[in-house]
Amino acid sequence: MTSTHVAAPARSGGPHLGERRKKDVYRRTMARLGWGFSAPALLVIAAVTIFPIMFSVVMSFSNVNVLGSGFQIDGFTLDNYSIVLTNSTWQYALVFTIGYTVITVIVEIILGTLIALVLERLVGGRGWMMAMLLIPWSLITVISATLWDYIYDPIAGVATQILSVLGFGHPVILGSPASAIIAMMIADIWKTTPFVAIIVLAGLVMLPRDVYEAAEIDGANGWKTFWRVTVPLLRPTIALAVLFRVLQAFGVFDLPFVLTQGGPQNATTSLAILGYRAMFTDLKFGPGAAVATTTALLVVLGCLLFLRVFRSQVSETEM
Amino acid sequence: MSKNITQALNIRGALRRKRSVMKVAAIATAVATVAVLSACSSGGSGSGSTSAAAGNATKGSITWWASPITTSGADPRTVLISDFEKKYPNIHVKLISAPNDTDTNRATLTTQISGGGGPDVFMGDVIWPAQFGAHQLAVPLSKYLPKSYWDTFANGLVAGATYNGEVYGAPFFEDQGFLYYRKDLLAANNMKVPTTWEELVSDAKTIQAKGQVKYGYVFQGANYEGATCNFMEFLGDAGGTVLNSKADASTLDSAAATKALTFEQSLVTSGVSPQASSTFQETQSMNAFSAGDALFLRNWDYAYSTSQASGSAVIGKVGVAPMPNFQGQPTPGYSNIGGWNLYVNPHSKNVAADLTFIKWMTGKDAQTTLATKFSEIPTNAAVRSSSAVKNANPVLAIVSQTKLIARPAQTPNYPEVSQAIYSNVNGVLAGSLTPQQAIQKASSQINTAVKNGGL
Repeated sequence: MTSTHVAAPARSGGPHLGERRKKDVYRRTMARLGWGFSAPALLVIAAVTIFPIMFSVVMSFSNVNVLGSGFQIDGFTLDNYSIVLTNSTWQYALVFTIGYTVITVIVEIILGTLIALVLERLVGGRGWMMAMLLIPWSLITVISATLWDYIYDPIAGVATQILSVLGFGHPVILGSPASAIIAMMIADIWKTTPFVAIIVLAGLVMLPRDVYEAAEIDGANGWKTFWRVTVPLLRPTIALAVLFRVLQAFGVFDLPFVLTQGGPQNATTSLAILGYRAMFTDLKFGPGAAVATTTALLVVLGCLLFLRVFRSQVSETEM
Repeated sequence: MSKNITQALNIRGALRRKRSVMKVAAIATAVATVAVLSACSSGGSGSGSTSAAAGNATKGSITWWASPITTSGADPRTVLISDFEKKYPNIHVKLISAPNDTDTNRATLTTQISGGGGPDVFMGDVIWPAQFGAHQLAVPLSKYLPKSYWDTFANGLVAGATYNGEVYGAPFFEDQGFLYYRKDLLAANNMKVPTTWEELVSDAKTIQAKGQVKYGYVFQGANYEGATCNFMEFLGDAGGTVLNSKADASTLDSAAATKALTFEQSLVTSGVSPQASSTFQETQSMNAFSAGDALFLRNWDYAYSTSQASGSAVIGKVGVAPMPNFQGQPTPGYSNIGGWNLYVNPHSKNVAADLTFIKWMTGKDAQTTLATKFSEIPTNAAVRSSSAVKNANPVLAIVSQTKLIARPAQTPNYPEVSQAIYSNVNGVLAGSLTPQQAIQKASSQINTAVKNGGL
């Protein structure tokens, strides 16, 4: 076989052809073995994720009645979706959940990056600092929400005491919509900023030193170095943190459930709370499944959009 | 060059094969899902209705699902079970402790029962019969138990457990709203126990102005079911209603409802009740009263025992009275009905033993124990009016003097109706809605709910 002049992988003929072919066969066999070994685990994951998801999607398009004898699912109907999309509580929950996600993720990214930058400079005691910082992250959300409930308690809570000392009277923090939302965001940011900090720190320590030396030689000060060198290099890491956080924040449930049960007049009713209420309190599984399906679709679309924008940005900066 | 083409073709072939494998897998999953789902759909219930229950009435093993009844001291559930097993040694009852929060309780039960499992007998809230009956999540007990059995209960309780002509729950113990007061403070100020709301407010303002107490009246106004209970009492006093007799339209949008809600709001705005009332559930209001910070408390019957338990700052200083009414209305005011019924799971294998258990738990011995040892209000009419029970504690003594109002639970969509009420009432207490706005919003949400149109 004559080798071609196409810039193809150097797999054209030659004395090493037999070895290369053996490597291909070996690689393919290993791949198949890998699939074989992970098949049981993948099947379990499929059973507990794919089946319920499809079940939920089917329910959202049917008339569902919960009976003692089981679920009665019949017909094909778009009624559930029309009920959901025209419901004012759902429309508010959508706006609230998106706004909540955007604000908390932005604040967490900024705070997390700052914390990571500081941690990276720490010479001694970095391990201890990281362990302390991870305590909020490691707490079960319901437990941390209950603790924040005590902090925000209008009679004896620490936050209420501090605010009254500062001259705000006797605020009922979880009693009015605006302050309840802010209080919830603070509790969420407190809990998940360490997660962002750890991810960004991991990205920071992997950055190549020589770029910084070059920047120093060029005479860049700290601020310029940060914006022109660190941030562009950290982009993939930050994007990963953003992705994780958006996926989690969009499904916020524990905090509003424990703190406000959906909030003063549905002010903190997120999409997840609405879905739970529709399905398990009102026993309306059709519309509830429609809420769940639309939420999942929105999150997936949002993430795909983000990745597309992110990829195009990355390819712009790559020379 | 042909090598590369062959390679390319090989890769494309492999990809195509991989894609077709994925396609087949996707189709298989979809087919499997549809197959399973069509198997899941049932043609509705159709079990034969006989008046003789299946199973053995004196032998077997049953499970009883019940949330904690008291918060301290001996557990009435275990005491009653051991008394029952002494009487029926061949029936073994296993207690499953249910979640405290009534909504979590219901959600878990509906999931289990609709999945084909669940406990045999469960203790459920008095507001569940319509929803559970409509979804066939409980056995219609009136199919097995005769009218003579239902006549042993106090007035109004069996009606509350009826849906579509069938009785779904056996009233186990009842609860009502009571007005608790600091008799020491009233005596020190030469005041008698108020019988009208206007009197209560003026007494509270006087004593608060003197600095003898922090809050005048504490109640439950948080964004949960308890706020509906409190509002129903004000609404009944003002002469309003929530649903029409067929339970298919809202009657809430009325001057009476606005009057009731305006009064409830004025309690907070005038300072008689704390600003934090919009976050108060039973626990918070109870704590405020037990700590000696409140003059009047509206709470359920357990509050008397709790206020006299060790650690309370008001031992020996508490009196209990029926709820007040508005001036010009017949006293006493309305108390909201709470309490718990016993239901049977349609999947229970030994319904006969379940019924034996239920009959004993609503019979003379168990009801007397509940009342005298645990201060719960019995549902058995004879036990309720017996002198032993009446002398047990001050709450039980005045049970016969109270006037009752039920929550609008005759509709299977009651959770949505209740949410419409409590979220808007809570908005008024928090200061983000006016009473007129709240009543209008609640009324339109209730109309959507009873027409099955809500989320």
